[in-house]
Amino acid sequence: MIETFQMVWNSQDLGTKTIEHLEMFFWALLFSILFGILIGILIYKKKQLADIVFQVLNIIELIPTLALLILLLPLLGLGSGPTIAACILYSLLPIARNTYTGLVTVNTQYLQAAQGIGLSSKEILLNIRIPYALPHIIGGIRIAIVFTMGVVTLGGVIAAGGLGQSIQTGLQFNRPDIIIVSSIWVGILAVLFDFFAGVVERTLTRRNHLG
Amino acid sequence: MTHQRLFDTIESVQTKNLTKIYDNKAVVEDLNLTVEGGELLILIGGSGSGKTTTLKMINRLITPDKGSVFINNTDTKNYDAVTLRRNIGYVIQQIGLFPHLSILENIGLIPKLEGIDKHTIKEEVIKLLNLVDLPAEFIERYPHQLSGGQQQRIGLARALAMDPRLLLMDEPFGALDPILRKQLQEEFLSIKAELNRTILFVTHDIDEAYKLGDRIGVMDQGKLIQIGTPEELLLNPANDTVANLVDATSKLRHIENFAVKEVMNPLPDHYILSEHTTAADAIQHLSTHNIEFCLIGTKKQLIGYCTLCTLLKTKDKNQPLNDLATPHHHLQSSDSLSSALHSMKKDNHFLSIIQKDDKPQGYLLADALLLKLI
Amino acid sequence: MVDYLELLVFDPLPEHLMLVFGSLLISLLLALPLAILCLKNKHLKTLIIGFANLIQAIPSFAVLALVVPLLGIGFTPALFAIILRMMLPIIKNTYIGLTTIDTKTLEYAKGLGLTDRQILFQIRFPNAYPAFFSGVKFAAVLANSLAILSAIIGAGGFGVNVFKYIHQYNIQSLIYSIIPVILIAVGLEITLILLEKKLTPVPLQKS
Repeated sequence: MIETFQMVWNSQDLGTKTIEHLEMFFWALLFSILFGILIGILIYKKKQLADIVFQVLNIIELIPTLALLILLLPLLGLGSGPTIAACILYSLLPIARNTYTGLVTVNTQYLQAAQGIGLSSKEILLNIRIPYALPHIIGGIRIAIVFTMGVVTLGGVIAAGGLGQSIQTGLQFNRPDIIIVSSIWVGILAVLFDFFAGVVERTLTRRNHLG
Repeated sequence: MTHQRLFDTIESVQTKNLTKIYDNKAVVEDLNLTVEGGELLILIGGSGSGKTTTLKMINRLITPDKGSVFINNTDTKNYDAVTLRRNIGYVIQQIGLFPHLSILENIGLIPKLEGIDKHTIKEEVIKLLNLVDLPAEFIERYPHQLSGGQQQRIGLARALAMDPRLLLMDEPFGALDPILRKQLQEEFLSIKAELNRTILFVTHDIDEAYKLGDRIGVMDQGKLIQIGTPEELLLNPANDTVANLVDATSKLRHIENFAVKEVMNPLPDHYILSEHTTAADAIQHLSTHNIEFCLIGTKKQLIGYCTLCTLLKTKDKNQPLNDLATPHHHLQSSDSLSSALHSMKKDNHFLSIIQKDDKPQGYLLADALLLKLI
Repeated sequence: MVDYLELLVFDPLPEHLMLVFGSLLISLLLALPLAILCLKNKHLKTLIIGFANLIQAIPSFAVLALVVPLLGIGFTPALFAIILRMMLPIIKNTYIGLTTIDTKTLEYAKGLGLTDRQILFQIRFPNAYPAFFSGVKFAAVLANSLAILSAIIGAGGFGVNVFKYIHQYNIQSLIYSIIPVILIAVGLEITLILLEKKLTPVPLQKS
């Protein structure tokens, strides 16, 4: 079995594909987090705006993955461009919504106490809301990680490279060994990332002593 | 970023025509209230009486619809809200310690935001923990590791972090069980003098009000009905609402809260006879003035007392009062009624002379007292 | 125009709908008993939900590809992969819906004398409606999305055209070919929302 793995790894150059894969994953996740959290912070005070923003983002979630990738082709061509863009679009909702929920659902007694002892709005945001929201945000990022891994893998069919491409090769040439090795390898990576995100999420929740 | 210190001492906190309206109903109506510098004023009332709303209008968590709040004769509208709150200590019923911060970080939050260095903050926090009777090791603990009573003590310490001259306390012991509440009240009472601040304290518990307050203000339906010392409220309730609230009908409950000077009978000069007066003359004197006992000696020096009964039973009516005097029981005018009665019972006296600075002020008859308390 | 419709919409439609609704139905039939099983046995719950959580992290494409060495290509393997994918959202959401009830309410029900079974039907089920529907909606979107992909492992459906045009790099036709899919996705969501409104008892409805 290990021999098969090594053989496929070398013949399909999985090392390079993995790096391609992770590169796309990294950039997509980075921008998703930046934009997602930013959106969450911008709208947490205005419920009506938040409702509209989430409606729009919800609609994006409805679009099937492949369909979204294809919609982006006229704009961004083939390859990693539309793949990364699609990842970001899908990841905005979980991150923004979790950021929003985290910022907004701070227990009112803490907010009242904070206001009463003399913290300004900005100080409350920095010292109370954001620390409270952190585990929620990480929860959203965790979801985004799973989405992003999925979309990057799919990007293989629109010539984005990465491990999805070797899976496609395996399917096209009816090579079960390539299919199995590539799929399981990407599966392991995905599970590992999700697991670590989960650990961070749990640690932050405990550190906030919120049970 | 530091905010300025607004007041070094509080001379007065005043509300003028303070009004707050919710849903077309006045929750606080035309409130004119003055808190004297250095006193602990209790605001008491049922739920919906407007007491918490009033408190929150003082630190501008709620904006009044009409009227103003003056601190040291300056309208608080002129101050920035955040600066104002940094200058006022605030303690709430739900305590509200931040769960993600340690005790040190909780108490030291405002000082940190004010730019005070870490070392000084730590020193101050340990001093405050000392004040509220908690060990210094607690600085590293987190709120969820502390009991309710300990948390509320931290809440008080946090309010005192910037050394504010004015404290606002909104039912601070309300979330605790009755036994714990009593304990914290006792402890608060013991540090009250040490605190030496102006305190506005909201509660719905009349016993707490009696225990802690210098003066008590009764609110009902948004209006201030009466304000005064505990004794004033008990003896002269302005209306039935106040009477029911302060439990004026069962004054007997409050014998701990009364000082003997509130219920003693006055001692006119004719009660005092010289020790040389004969029994016969004394009897005459007592029946003329319609009194049943007399005190023997001078105002400056009393030797004892004698009852009419004893005088009538004396065989030799020429005996001077000197020989018939029984040493009298005496009390200080500020003694509590309950300690007075206990002392009289212990020494088996039915009569006691109330003195202030060694001068007799009045007298107390144990059995007649019962009538006064009903 | 008629040719277009026939090629891009009517031909792939039956198989696509069979994939989506077939998998939905079978998933529901399998997932609901499993969710209730999780309720009864703590160890089973950790096992089932833990396992399902694991599978969920694996990219859909990889899951789809992995059934090929096992089951070959075509409609049935695709159906199998889609069902596998949908299990977690339905099980997890249903489980959360069944269990996230105020403990006092449950205590009270027990105190009144309700059996576990009665509590399940009278209290837990109604309480679970919103969470359950939320899981179903999510699963339906997944199914729709995967159904197109499954063309790559030999199933029919809209994916056949999509991959054909990708291969040809015919962008215009590509766009046309995915429009029906997006419309179906939106239609599915709306239908489920309306269904949910109709079936959920009024007090439990979210505003």
